[in-house]
Amino acid sequence: MSSVNLSIDNALHGLDEFVRDKIAPAIADPYIAPMTRLSGMLLKICANGVNDAAEIRVEENAAIRRILGEAADIVAEPNSGALRSAALSTDPGLKISTLDAENDRLRRLLVDVQAALEGDQGEAPPMLDQKIWRFLEEIEAKRAPRE
Amino acid sequence: MSSLEAQIAAYLAHRMPEARDIVVDELGRIYGGSSQETFRFRARWVEGGEAIDRRLILRRDATAGLVVAERDLEYNVYRALTGQGVPIPGVHFLELDPQWLERPFFIMDMCPGKPGSPFVPTDPYDGHGTAIGEQYWSILGRLAAIDIGKVGLGTLRNGTATGSFWKAELDWWEAILDENEALIEPAVRGAIRWLRRNPPPEPAKPAIIHGDYRSGNFLFTDDGTISAILDWEMCHVGDPLEDVAWGLDPFWPITRHYPLDEGLALWEAASGMTVDRTALDWWQLFTAVKACAIWTTAANGFASGKNREMTMALSGIRASHFHRNLILKMMRAKGAMG
Repeated sequence: MSSVNLSIDNALHGLDEFVRDKIAPAIADPYIAPMTRLSGMLLKICANGVNDAAEIRVEENAAIRRILGEAADIVAEPNSGALRSAALSTDPGLKISTLDAENDRLRRLLVDVQAALEGDQGEAPPMLDQKIWRFLEEIEAKRAPRE
Repeated sequence: MSSLEAQIAAYLAHRMPEARDIVVDELGRIYGGSSQETFRFRARWVEGGEAIDRRLILRRDATAGLVVAERDLEYNVYRALTGQGVPIPGVHFLELDPQWLERPFFIMDMCPGKPGSPFVPTDPYDGHGTAIGEQYWSILGRLAAIDIGKVGLGTLRNGTATGSFWKAELDWWEAILDENEALIEPAVRGAIRWLRRNPPPEPAKPAIIHGDYRSGNFLFTDDGTISAILDWEMCHVGDPLEDVAWGLDPFWPITRHYPLDEGLALWEAASGMTVDRTALDWWQLFTAVKACAIWTTAANGFASGKNREMTMALSGIRASHFHRNLILKMMRAKGAMG
């Protein structure tokens, strides 16, 4: 029998199964019983999201930086300088909380960029705006909760 | 009696000094709804020589709810709308003093019937979908037709405004997003900007907006009669299409039970107003944005530890994803992706 790592996601899956199969059926209270089932569902979503949580954030941050770099060539100063700086930045660490904080910082710049592009004329701004919208579709799909 | 039952009995004794032998039992928390804690209970007492037996509902402020509501809003709306053609429970006592049950609460009648969950794959209305759909639209139309000043609800949010309800509501929900969003969502912000660039026309008249009028927020009886419209915490004054659009949202669509065109015709007949389909489209995108804002309060409430209800966490994760995805689909349909 090959060995299996008792990883965080593995443990959470086990906990979900225990809650779903053993605890929930044993509860009769009409308020606690459905809450217990939902607890199992939440555990499952967490279990399915643990393994690639860092990878998703690192890739997303890198993709936003590339877009910010493209935007720096389109939008006017002083914003372009800040965008170039953000485009060259790197993730300050690999803890999920650190990546999330950096993700929020970059996303806020992305919001500002998109708002600026919407008011700009010419060919490049609307093209980049559309590219950002397509990128938002991609990240939403990657971050979809897996049940 | 449990501790809470005893506390409720003590409160009833305080509010009903003529009542004797008050007994409160069969207390149970009702699953669903995370804006307020809802309990059912049975109260019996003797008054003027008569034995009285009532099934009642207690609605208590949550420690942190889905939305931040004014504490007496729902109670005041129930009182104001009594006898206006909208089925609602009778209300009895509003208590803002936390000495009784730690947080403000009110007590109302337990209406007959049950809710139909929009989140189950089976028929939530036991074969009464058509009848429910007809009543759903007619009741909403009657609500839109009510004279706001006449029923004394001019104190609701936007109650003194004469127009630009779309902007007032968009500002309101964007501010809630600003306050609660831990991770900014560019798709939601992009949708807000689109809504601001493409405002809807003014409504024919302002209306009382339920704020959460949808499948699952009313009770129906075994014969398919809607017996009570519930959950008025987000009630305000605004464009009546806000409520129309909210009920059409694909997370809880009434169109699953009743065709859209027929439903809108019933609403038009009852409200005396016409549905502008372009404006309705605006309000449907607004609905998705508003939903995202609400789910953000849920996520924040859970993450902060103020409310550890599982529905809060799942709303913050699953429901918010659903509505962001919906926003992206709507924006794609508007050509945003090229």
